[in-house]
Amino acid sequence: MSITTGKYWALLAGVAALQTGFLGKMAYDRVSLIAHGREITLNVIPVDPRDVFRGEYVVLGYDISQLKSGIGAAAPLDSLDRGQTIYATLQQGADGVWAGKGLSLTYPTGIGANEVVLKGLVRNRFVSAGGRDETVSVRYGIESYFVPEGTGRALEESVRDKKIEAIVAVGADGTAALKGLIIGGERHVDPPLL
Amino acid sequence: MWVNSKRLTEDVRRWRAEGWVTPQGEAYILDDLARRGSGLNLASSLGILASVLLGFAVMSFVAAHWQEMSRLVRLSLLVTLIWAGYVTAGAFASRGKQMFADAAILFSVAAFGASIMLISQMFHIDGNPPDAILAWWLGAFLSGVVLRSNPALAFAMVLVAVWTGMKTGDSGHVHWPFLAAWAAITAAFVWHKWQPGTHISAIALAGFVISLGYTLETAAPHLIVAGIGLAAALAAVAVLRLHIGFDAIAAPALGYAIGVLFAALFALQFIENTTTLQLLIYAAATLALLLAAIGYGLSYDHRGALWLGYLGFSVEVLALYWKTVGTILDTSLFFLVAGLIVAGLAFLAWRLAHRFDGSSAHEQGTRA
Repeated sequence: MSITTGKYWALLAGVAALQTGFLGKMAYDRVSLIAHGREITLNVIPVDPRDVFRGEYVVLGYDISQLKSGIGAAAPLDSLDRGQTIYATLQQGADGVWAGKGLSLTYPTGIGANEVVLKGLVRNRFVSAGGRDETVSVRYGIESYFVPEGTGRALEESVRDKKIEAIVAVGADGTAALKGLIIGGERHVDPPLL
Repeated sequence: MWVNSKRLTEDVRRWRAEGWVTPQGEAYILDDLARRGSGLNLASSLGILASVLLGFAVMSFVAAHWQEMSRLVRLSLLVTLIWAGYVTAGAFASRGKQMFADAAILFSVAAFGASIMLISQMFHIDGNPPDAILAWWLGAFLSGVVLRSNPALAFAMVLVAVWTGMKTGDSGHVHWPFLAAWAAITAAFVWHKWQPGTHISAIALAGFVISLGYTLETAAPHLIVAGIGLAAALAAVAVLRLHIGFDAIAAPALGYAIGVLFAALFALQFIENTTTLQLLIYAAATLALLLAAIGYGLSYDHRGALWLGYLGFSVEVLALYWKTVGTILDTSLFFLVAGLIVAGLAFLAWRLAHRFDGSSAHEQGTRA
């Protein structure tokens, strides 16, 4: 080997430290987003597949996962492409429910006190038979709720007749983090890191 | 380097007996060979395999979602595994067991990926799965370059392929950043002078070029891919025939170029919709090119071109049969015509082989 043993140990430590640092930053960003982000609740509809990598999880669908052409969009919906980043503006109604209000390609300005902006990725675009109605399906990164293995179906059963809402923390740049669920009015939030 | 130590030992003995190598020289070479001890032997292959299995164990550990531990404990455990792998690598490397060190590094790279998955799971992160793979391949690449570990680099290339596949699947467009990632990993392979790495690079690039036939948003993308394959094959032949060096790259490149060319022609004939006339033209071109590959392989002793030619020929004829049966030709008529064509081609190939055999023997004679 051309490198000396001492130097090799130093390189090993460097690589390990960089990889550890990356993981630390990833966890820290999330913890701080959950702690300091603006908290909103969204109505959800669960389904149940499985992710081989990440154990069992429940897929959550939202009203705002499907944005229709009636929405105040800054750009025409048919100019959107799959995988494109968009910003959805949500407004809290008098009933406390957050609903989609607008859609733009950059972070919108002039956000009201009862409004919040979510960053999302375009998944698909559908056009109705008449060509009049367009729907854009969007992912916000809050669609998977991980549960202990074997409890996914049970959770789905238990929430079948109950109202289920997601507690979401929203960062200043529109990044959303899933904090927990409200099942039948009961709040379930993950314990803190420690 | 891949050295057959048993054969080298025998050769050195013979060279010493014939007076080419001094007894001191023989002793030095044999000693060096023994000290290196890092050839691809059974033990080191098993080491890599064990590392892959342990890596899978870590990943299923994550998938099992261990509720009993607090999240910080889980995270610390995975970070500890990463460090443990690198410490093991250092221990092996300082004893001169580089292959085992590489296996340990590969384990750490796997644990790094598992940690990314775990953090995603812990915080319900579901934003963009390709980004997780991007972080993982960058981590693998870092290990591969800084620690000069080729298995980690090879793994990085696999992850780049997965990343590209996911990106393309999400957007439906060509994922051009693949080329930058590919170039970076290939440069590392070249810098390490790792021969198997160049093959891994070639396979990845060939796969990407073939995929362009399905993802390029232009007219006739498969024709463009076929053009790239043909140009690459001709360039490789030119480099080999003009004897301007780089034979070590051009010789395998010819094989991969033939693979790309055939894959594109195959798609044009059997995946795309064609008219009978188009099919006939493409089929004739394909058979001619495969025959040329076989001829080249025989005349210049290029085994890759020869076997790819034979393999492609068999696949082509079978596919033509499936495509045409019951449509443009009656089954029995097809067998008759195909049989005659293949017999004719076989005769032609035999004639060519003999002529080339004669000429290559002649060439070798003049060269010696």
